[in-house]
Amino acid sequence: MKTTLEPPRAADTKPEEVPRRSAVRYRVRRFSHKALMYAILLGLTAIIMLPLSWAFTAALKPDIEPVFTPTPEWFPSEFWQWDNFRRVLTEAMPFLRYMINTMIIVIASILGVLLSCSIVGFAFARLRFRGSKVLFYVLIVTMLIPWQALMVPQFLLFVKIGWYGTYLPLIVPSFTGVAFFIFLIRQYMRTIPRDLDDAARVDGLNTWQIFLRIILPLSTPVLTVCAVFTFLWRWNDLLGPLIYLDDDSKFTVALGLANLVTLADTPWNLTMAANLVTVIPTVILYFFVQKKLIGGIASVGLKG
Amino acid sequence: MAEITLRRVTKVFADRTEAVHSLDLDVPDGKLLVLVGPSGCGKTTILRMIAGLEDLTEGTISIGSRVVNEVPPGDRDIAMVFQNYALYPHMTVYQNMALSLKIRKLSKDEMKLRVQETAEILHLQELLHKRPRELSGGQRQRVAMGRAIVREPQAFLMDEPLSNLDAKLRVQMRAEILRIQQDLKVTTVYVTHDQTEAMTLGDLVVVLRKGELQQVGSPEELYERPANLFVGGFIGSPAMNLVEATVTAEDGARFVAFAGHRLRVPVEVLDARRELAGFDGRTVILGIRPEDIEDAALVPRADPGSRFPAVVALREGMGSDVFLHFQVEAPPVVTDDTRELASDVGDKALEELREQASERRAMFIARVGPETRAAVGAPTEMHVDTRKLYFFDPATGRSIGEAPEAPSMHAAGAMAD
Amino acid sequence: MAKRRGLMARREERAAYLFLSPWLIGLMLFWLVPIVASLLLSFSEYNIITPPEWVGLENYRDMIADRTFWLSIRVTLKYLILSVPLYIVCGLLLSLLLNLVMRGINLFRTILFLPSVLSGVAVAVLWVALLNPDVGAVNEFLRAIGIEDPPRWLDSPTWAVPSVVLVGLWGIGGGAIIYLAGLQNIPAQLYEASLLDGAGPLQRFRYVTLPMITPTLLFVLLTSLIEAFQVFDIAFVLSRGGQGGLGDSLQFYLINLWNEAFVNGQYGYASALAWVLVLAAAAVILVIFRTSGRWVYYEYDPERER
Repeated sequence: MKTTLEPPRAADTKPEEVPRRSAVRYRVRRFSHKALMYAILLGLTAIIMLPLSWAFTAALKPDIEPVFTPTPEWFPSEFWQWDNFRRVLTEAMPFLRYMINTMIIVIASILGVLLSCSIVGFAFARLRFRGSKVLFYVLIVTMLIPWQALMVPQFLLFVKIGWYGTYLPLIVPSFTGVAFFIFLIRQYMRTIPRDLDDAARVDGLNTWQIFLRIILPLSTPVLTVCAVFTFLWRWNDLLGPLIYLDDDSKFTVALGLANLVTLADTPWNLTMAANLVTVIPTVILYFFVQKKLIGGIASVGLKG
Repeated sequence: MAEITLRRVTKVFADRTEAVHSLDLDVPDGKLLVLVGPSGCGKTTILRMIAGLEDLTEGTISIGSRVVNEVPPGDRDIAMVFQNYALYPHMTVYQNMALSLKIRKLSKDEMKLRVQETAEILHLQELLHKRPRELSGGQRQRVAMGRAIVREPQAFLMDEPLSNLDAKLRVQMRAEILRIQQDLKVTTVYVTHDQTEAMTLGDLVVVLRKGELQQVGSPEELYERPANLFVGGFIGSPAMNLVEATVTAEDGARFVAFAGHRLRVPVEVLDARRELAGFDGRTVILGIRPEDIEDAALVPRADPGSRFPAVVALREGMGSDVFLHFQVEAPPVVTDDTRELASDVGDKALEELREQASERRAMFIARVGPETRAAVGAPTEMHVDTRKLYFFDPATGRSIGEAPEAPSMHAAGAMAD
Repeated sequence: MAKRRGLMARREERAAYLFLSPWLIGLMLFWLVPIVASLLLSFSEYNIITPPEWVGLENYRDMIADRTFWLSIRVTLKYLILSVPLYIVCGLLLSLLLNLVMRGINLFRTILFLPSVLSGVAVAVLWVALLNPDVGAVNEFLRAIGIEDPPRWLDSPTWAVPSVVLVGLWGIGGGAIIYLAGLQNIPAQLYEASLLDGAGPLQRFRYVTLPMITPTLLFVLLTSLIEAFQVFDIAFVLSRGGQGGLGDSLQFYLINLWNEAFVNGQYGYASALAWVLVLAAAAVILVIFRTSGRWVYYEYDPERER
């Protein structure tokens, strides 16, 4: 390739231009640049919000009205059948039951993740022991290998010990730690100065007290991230409940919803109402923690 | 209160580097002992071993009459002040200071009383409910001190506690540490790389180099009778001027010659350094402290045997006195010792040492009276207080004719270049 | 190693293994035992009722002859090739957009990240309706802008996988969060320095942004490749309960595996499928890590052991 060409240069930054004119141009260019960015953002917002708004519209329609209209109705108009939500929750479908079921699994899993991952992450982050390198590699490997690859033998194991049809297969593994969260917590705890442990040891704290009184209180940002991720992961999980739960009264929201669409005769207005009902807890949680979540991911520093 | 005793303490890290080699050390009860030396000399490792934060590879450490090798840090009855203070960020000042008492299950009332008392000593009363991030550097330092004092321990261990403060605050806190230590009379081991700090604080100063003890003594002893070239070069600021010189005997008098100059060695020096006689006609390393060189014009009736001419290359006025830099037409002393001393000052100092060696010209500094008229480029007569000449054996680095009882005198490195 | 391990080291080690014990137990029960069991099962025929029967390599031979297996590979690869580059580029572009300093940007971030917290099932249910070829909103829209014969999406073997990709694109915000975190870790001085050097926006991207986020890119590439093998929820719903869609057009690898194990009860064969999945994932990880040294730039060594 020939390299005798001038380096590329924007047309309006020629040095001979009059300073004032160039300043005006610069401002015009910045303004139009900004306008373009806002236009793109608004377009993307529409792509996200319109389908949700359509779902909302559909969910509010009475049974006799067609959900699908020749021109899609993006916004609710005259119907407002709020009753649909009640029907989905308790009457026509047991989604309130599903939500309670899911909440039980979610809360137990969060408890398990916070308990186990924090102490395991602490050991990896701040204790010296023989075999730490090897075990850390094992951790990374278990983080990368999809767990679905082991779902068959795990299923057989849980069937053998009589846990099929209970929530235990969905909860108990959380109490033995989740590799990804252990990794996140370890990365975060490594950033806490070592001197604090030394000071605490001199102050007479043992390892457990150092964990409980010093390191754990300083790790709340990463623990929040882990709790939120666990919530989303458990609330949204389909495959786990699909494999282990057989009784309709024990279904989770994801499983109940997936079940709904496989039945051909479910009315669309109720399907959409059920759909919205299941996402509401995650959306509420999201709005509460989204700043912390983004900040948390940044502070955890996914540096590979 | 208790004395601290180290016997044949050796530390080898997992990567096989030997940080401390067979060290014997006694910290007398109630005294402040300073461990000083360039980075990598093992001083912090020694402190951490006393604290129990680091295991010993060999040897024993006792606090009082108790061997503490197998005692965890919290049960050694010692308190430590860290370089970065290591205050618990999520706790208030009060909680920081009270934690160790809480762990020891003191009653709430006693805890409160002791924290209050300590806060008074350090003027921390107003800060007790603040968190560390709301405090200034000096305040954090005081809280770190308070956390140690409140324990009423048998010993304080301090790991460069002042190095994160600015110069002014450092002097102030240094005085405060000294005051508190003298008030409480608690055995203290203090680590620093700053020899000025070591000299002003210590009842006893221990100079270390590469995990080996060089000399233990009072600040005056270290300054006046350095056991070897390393200690001589390390203690004192600006550092001692060092040059290769020859000892000659003429008419019953002894002279030391360097760079075409000749200084008469006074009788009292010869008496104190009897070994010097054995060096007739041989090379020695001559050390002259900057404060022992004066502008000859300011010294009336000076003996011609204690003068030599020089051309001033740089003049630094300090107010109280003036630093004159001048070249000496002799190679600087380049040994492992001087190289390490230079590299401790900085890469630039090491580079300068190399440059001077290749040009075979050493740079001297004289600390002269403020009345001096010496100007840059002007020939100036220098007067040396020849009673305070230092002599070192170039082969071993040992001080000649000095302190035969000096402990662990290992060869300080052969002459290089 | 020190000659004799001291008290501190021994105590610390004992504490460490005590702290690790929940994980070690889990590793044993939920990883090691299943891995061994799965390997043995993959050489057996097992239907949970009668005891396993050793059949040697038969499961693997069956696999080679299994039309559905090859279809699932095709569907998965098709998805991988379409989705991975698209998601990486779009996620990066979105995060660059959301990293701009503009009024109201936090609101846009909140909205655009929203779909990524919704469950795969919920999103799929929504899009089943939107993508209905005859009355769905997407095709109504396409007809309105003059496309006479819009794709039949999930009802078309050609468009089924692209439909899944498209639905995934709607939730691209999740990837963008990770990029955004990477972007916000880039020190501002680097941009200031490059501005003073006279670099334009494109040059800044090329010489500052891109090298600095290569670790994030590595992470995203790795996870999105592995996730391509794990597509399940959306395909399950879109194919009406994991039936594989029209002409097996949504027969993703995991759908097939699930069907073999939990619908057909072929646990031995399913274990063999699982082992192929593990090997494929391992191969991807190895290749990526082997080549990553050439293009991933680390600012500093994160391992600073004492």
